[in-house]
Amino acid sequence: MRIFSRLLSSLMLLVVVSAMLFAMCRATPVSPARLTLGSDASADQIASFNRQHGLDRPVVAQYGAWLTHAATLDFGHSYVSGNDIGPEIADTLPGTVELVTLSFVLTLVMSIFLGTIAALKEDGAADHMLRIAAIVGLSIPSFWLGLLLIRYVALKTGWLPVGGLVPWADGIGAHLGSLILPVLTMSVYYIAVLSRLVRTNMVDALSQDYIRTARALGLPRGRILVYALKNALPSLVSTAAMSYGYMFGWALIVEQIFNLPGVSRALLAAIFQRDYPAVQAIVLVITTIFIVSNGCADLVQGVLDPKVKRT
Amino acid sequence: MMADSSLPAVPERPSAMTATARGAGRFVRALMREPTGAVGLVLIVVLLGVALCAPILPLKDPLKLYIDHRLQAPGAEFWLGTDQVGRDMLSRVIWGARASLAIGLAAVAIGVVLGTAIGLIAGYKAGTWTDELLMKTMEVLASIPLLIWAIALVGITGTDTIHVAGIALSNETKLVLLIGVLYAPGLARLTYGLARAEVQAEYVAARRLQGASATRIVLSDVLPNIISPVLVQATLLLGVTIIVEASLSFIGLGVQPPTPSWGAMLSDSRALIFTDFWWVSIFPGAAVFASVLAFNLVGDGMRTILDPRRRRRVADATQGGAA
Repeated sequence: MRIFSRLLSSLMLLVVVSAMLFAMCRATPVSPARLTLGSDASADQIASFNRQHGLDRPVVAQYGAWLTHAATLDFGHSYVSGNDIGPEIADTLPGTVELVTLSFVLTLVMSIFLGTIAALKEDGAADHMLRIAAIVGLSIPSFWLGLLLIRYVALKTGWLPVGGLVPWADGIGAHLGSLILPVLTMSVYYIAVLSRLVRTNMVDALSQDYIRTARALGLPRGRILVYALKNALPSLVSTAAMSYGYMFGWALIVEQIFNLPGVSRALLAAIFQRDYPAVQAIVLVITTIFIVSNGCADLVQGVLDPKVKRT
Repeated sequence: MMADSSLPAVPERPSAMTATARGAGRFVRALMREPTGAVGLVLIVVLLGVALCAPILPLKDPLKLYIDHRLQAPGAEFWLGTDQVGRDMLSRVIWGARASLAIGLAAVAIGVVLGTAIGLIAGYKAGTWTDELLMKTMEVLASIPLLIWAIALVGITGTDTIHVAGIALSNETKLVLLIGVLYAPGLARLTYGLARAEVQAEYVAARRLQGASATRIVLSDVLPNIISPVLVQATLLLGVTIIVEASLSFIGLGVQPPTPSWGAMLSDSRALIFTDFWWVSIFPGAAVFASVLAFNLVGDGMRTILDPRRRRRVADATQGGAA
């Protein structure tokens, strides 16, 4: 029942947000026909362009058609090349998903590790150092960090490529090696955010009576830590999921810096060519990922933490 | 003070203005006692001072091309060196602060005003259709990823000034509006949660019985009690906004040249990343870093001061000392 209602509300959000996106994409200063065909196009040519792309129909009908087609992964044709947009996204998106997912995994592992250490040493030297490190991590702009890593790590040591992606075919090691710096660039900010949350929740969990009892019973430290983590982590799920969605935005910048093939190249190319259907489609796909990951987080949290279900 | 010890002293009711000023003064003093808060606060004052004074500081023209001095290393004449077309880096970094701070402050101000207003109204009217409508709207806005929509907005409307309903919107104004509106849901949820709890309090019922209007209760009783966490959040958002603006300018979609901006300077420096001209990429990046750090430090200091767990500990300590 909960799954059903959550699904329904995610779907509703998607419909409303996609309508807003559609409206935003109609706010072009110059009509798409005029832009694509040039200023000396005749009225006939413009009319036929509009007919071809369905722009002569009422806006609501256009939106309905766009949304129902998008649901079947048909995003229409590019104004510029005339090609289908769907396959182009299917080509470029996996690269971005890989970058984001690797960064997300690294972020989770590091945040839980660092946050737990800080909580165990509450108000100790390690805790204070991690706090300062987190403030610095929050403040360093990822694109600058990327430039610094290229300049002072990749270029100085020569161990890692300064940009570009080594394909899977050339070996897994080389492939992952070419992703180390981009993944690091993406993760630092979110490790800073999430490790602090882990710390707060762990400090809370460690001060509970059941932990005192477990300690009094002489349970091994590792076991106690697992009990505490089990109670500290569920409330992090929603923030973590949101980070996953937001990372797609930052991935666009990081892909630019490291010259990685991914959806950012397609998006920026579409923007500079004023290819609105392509821009609209890419933003819709990423927004959908954002909404779906938030929805999944809600469900996961419901499973992990029965208290949530009651509300 | 010592007039009549048998009667409890009735303090004169301070006017709202002096009370606010006194509260702010106390707050700043508390912040200065926190190491992180003090460093952050000093950094912010320097940053704001330099940005505000840019026109009267003895700086070179940030747009002037010193063609004979291209890519000059930092030295006596050009303190931070020059870029590849011979512009003075120091004055560009300082002028760049204006764009960053103005966009940050404007966007966060919009977010705070919208967010707290909506959170307060929905919290006060908890359980009514107003509450439902406002918070559902916030839920919709919360499902919009900020950066990619900002990229799309500029991508679609172009970087030139556009006219909507007769109002001219520059590229910076568009971004400020979008970022501000997208900050509202987070701040509204925060305010909503706090306001809902606060409205249950007995003093609110008492004020109602006294005949105070809803507006009055919300603004002069509820708001002051819940504003602190909102301000912490706003301070942290200022840092985020500076990074977002710099990132957008970096890919050419934010502040438009010739206006100097840190993001655009870093974008220019990309071509020189493999050369020995380190200063073109270090200084603008360090400026973004330092200003974001300043707001994060102050945010951290504020959070420490307001942390109820720590407050209790401090109170315990002072009591222990007295006993």
